[in-house]
Amino acid sequence: MGKTVLIVDDSNTMRKIVSRALRQAGIDFSEILEAADGQLALDVLGSNEVDVVLSDINMPNMTGLEFLKAKSEDDAIKDIPVVMISTETGADIIDQAKALGAKGAIKKPFTPDLINEILSPLL
Amino acid sequence: MEFAQKISSVTKEIFASMIFLDLTSGEPISQGQEDLGCHVSAMIGLSGDINAILGIHCPAVVGKAIGGAMLGMELEEVDEDTKDALGEIANMLAGGLKETFAAEKIDILLAIPTTISGNSYKVSAPTGSNRIIIPFDIEAGRFYIDLKYSLS
Repeated sequence: MGKTVLIVDDSNTMRKIVSRALRQAGIDFSEILEAADGQLALDVLGSNEVDVVLSDINMPNMTGLEFLKAKSEDDAIKDIPVVMISTETGADIIDQAKALGAKGAIKKPFTPDLINEILSPLL
Repeated sequence: MEFAQKISSVTKEIFASMIFLDLTSGEPISQGQEDLGCHVSAMIGLSGDINAILGIHCPAVVGKAIGGAMLGMELEEVDEDTKDALGEIANMLAGGLKETFAAEKIDILLAIPTTISGNSYKVSAPTGSNRIIIPFDIEAGRFYIDLKYSLS
């Protein structure tokens, strides 16, 4: 059965690029959901069965790190794996993300092969 | 510090992995050319060990071609999608430069990209700053990556 993924990024262009890369990565996704910031992502997780989340870090309203913290405090969604996908993948910010529960990080620009490599073990 | 080489390398990586448009780079222009004949620009500020503005400047037809390639659709005009796409390129380019600088113990912070469009504007560097403009060519035409910087 296909998986459901949630893409969280304030850029419509980047959401479309990530969506295309997911289809090219060869992973069987039945549904690709989108949210433009962390708060909207929490709303989507509250009303959908999601298998994995790909989240940007720098976003308005609620950043990727704030999203991770809020998600970790909600028992209903805290175990859904999140992979950060961002231009900012320095060790300090990735350490913060992992401390808040992120399962990995993908740097923009990325390839479908890299998406597959990071996501497959989580599904 | 070879800024031009770093910019060219990161730009080619972005176009090869996420935009899928063939790209060639031209000889860097050191300064003096303020009117690039462009209609849409995305710029991002860098601060820290280097203070800089990094920009991508395109004629409308080139901006639409790049944005369309990123979105997988034809863009009829320089709209929010075009500006969003160019802003993401500026963001990824700045992120790539940040990483290469970090390897040389040069720390920089990134601002949020800003985009502008119009039929007549010039992009000038502050007095005393350095400037590198690198032309790139795709099938739709020429665009420019522009770095105005001063060392802290």
